[in-house]
Amino acid sequence: MQPVFQFDNVTKSYGKHVAVENLNLSIEAGKFVTLLGPSGCGKSTSLRMLGGFETPNSGRILLGGKDVTRVPPNKRNVNIVFQDYALFPHMTIAKNIAFGLELKGFDNQHIHRRVNELLELVQLQDYAKRLPSELSGGQRQRVALMRALAPDPEVLLLDEPLSALDAKLRQQMQIELKSIQEKTGKTFMFVTHDQEEALTMSDTIVVMNKGRIEQMGDPNTLYGRPGSVFVANFIGETNLLRSTVVGTEGDTAALSWNGVTIKAAPGGLAPKAGDNLYVVLRPEAIHCSADEPATGNRIKGKVRQRVFKGNHTSLSVEVGDGALLNALVHPSDVAQLSGDDVWVGWKPETTTVIPDRHAHN
Amino acid sequence: MRNMFSDAPRTTLTAFYWAFLLYLLLPLTLMMAMSFKDANFVAFPIGDWTLDWYAKVMQDKQFLEACLYSVMIAAASTLAATTLGTWIAMLIVAEGIKGQVIIFALACLPAVVPGMISAISMRIFISTIDMPTGTAAIILGHTVHAVPFVVVMALTRLRSMPGNLVDAARDLGADSVVAFFRVTLPYLGPALVGGMIFCVLLSIDDFVRTFFLGGYRPTLPMLIFAKVQGGMSPEINAMATLVLVVTAAVGLYAEYLTRRARTR
Repeated sequence: MQPVFQFDNVTKSYGKHVAVENLNLSIEAGKFVTLLGPSGCGKSTSLRMLGGFETPNSGRILLGGKDVTRVPPNKRNVNIVFQDYALFPHMTIAKNIAFGLELKGFDNQHIHRRVNELLELVQLQDYAKRLPSELSGGQRQRVALMRALAPDPEVLLLDEPLSALDAKLRQQMQIELKSIQEKTGKTFMFVTHDQEEALTMSDTIVVMNKGRIEQMGDPNTLYGRPGSVFVANFIGETNLLRSTVVGTEGDTAALSWNGVTIKAAPGGLAPKAGDNLYVVLRPEAIHCSADEPATGNRIKGKVRQRVFKGNHTSLSVEVGDGALLNALVHPSDVAQLSGDDVWVGWKPETTTVIPDRHAHN
Repeated sequence: MRNMFSDAPRTTLTAFYWAFLLYLLLPLTLMMAMSFKDANFVAFPIGDWTLDWYAKVMQDKQFLEACLYSVMIAAASTLAATTLGTWIAMLIVAEGIKGQVIIFALACLPAVVPGMISAISMRIFISTIDMPTGTAAIILGHTVHAVPFVVVMALTRLRSMPGNLVDAARDLGADSVVAFFRVTLPYLGPALVGGMIFCVLLSIDDFVRTFFLGGYRPTLPMLIFAKVQGGMSPEINAMATLVLVVTAAVGLYAEYLTRRARTR
């Protein structure tokens, strides 16, 4: 299947600063893809290049198979939902949404029908005659989305559009965005630094760091099998255990970490004794119990801190030579722990092993 | 005792305020009062009151012609100054243009150069390029004088404009001309209307530039000046009162517009 858009070895730099370096990315139509990364990772630059507001120094950008690298924004069939919405303050909601349609030369009847259809999609029919300043943040967000969708773009670009909303509204909008994407079947390219947003909505997440793609995959893979220390740290909470290989047995390796020996499956890494590895251990993979677990990795430790968070309790457990492990425990399990002495245990297959060469990232 | 001392600065300030108001309004009030006097010369006591002077002014062909001429010059110079000023303001905020500070300084210069200097240099300039004195020269002079005010007002508004409004328009298919007329210009609207009214007032009020650049056709201030030289009469007071009332109303409206633009 032909990708709806494609970055072909794209590099963009500003003076000496390289914003995007040799970016290769191709996305299938109808996907919700998220560019995720810290500020300055090149995600917004990539979005602006696809939108036509920046021109790459080298490489090509293809849209629907056509080279659009040097096509100005008004001649590209992509639309952006801007971070601060950028609604035209002097136009009514209906006029805002109609703007792109008018410029495409549709007749009034068609425009009217399309605007109403879009307003209905987000239940804003009664607000057609209002000005943007008379709407709430969430409503403006929806209008901005509909204005960008109105001209029926090949790709809809969303530039951190939820960052101005409060936490509750943001969660609501995440679900709404996803359902609008599914209803319309459009390709959405969403840019954010918020890993939770990315995990909630995306079909594909592209994690970017320092102008390069760090890892790309569906949310499950990225969370469960991070390919680098950067990804492991950026997505979700992590215990990162830097350990040394002691020996291997079949597809399990015995590792020395912090004075204790643990087991992990290094997958295709084929480590030798003496190699350094990172073990990614998610806090929810850890079980805490008063008695020693029968199987899996198990270490005796002392609880140093308990933070009650409603649906779970976060325990900070000191193990081995003084390292702290962060564990998420169900409140009822915490009640069964007597005193501060606990066993922490986890199944080796719940961890991911990352080679040390990624460590410098 | 303490109260008296701590209140002293405030009382003084209030007193100054009233003194200032009196100083400002008394001459205007006297001038207006005299326009209703039923006698041929301007002096107290007023005695009988009349509206005859107004009737006379309204039938004074010279006055009406001067009004029309002033309005025409104001309209032309305002149009020119607004177009130029908006363009310069757009240049100043545009990306990738060098020497924006210099452009701004040059654009503002006419507002700070003393009127007399600017009038004389303008006169020398037009005679150098063999341009006759008269309507075109006056309009040119008034335009140059008014441009800085438009630039400053348009600039203030432009700087408060979210940067990606134009990006959004471009993204939705507008080229830069369409984006300017459909997004930037409407956004500037209130500031420009305020600026235009200000230009009109500057032009109607101008004496020095018109004096140096004008031909034989008098503008309103020139006419009043000529009449005053022929001796004071309540008719002049009536003319001045009319001009005052109209310009004050227009000026207040402009202030209201810019205030609204700022709060929106």
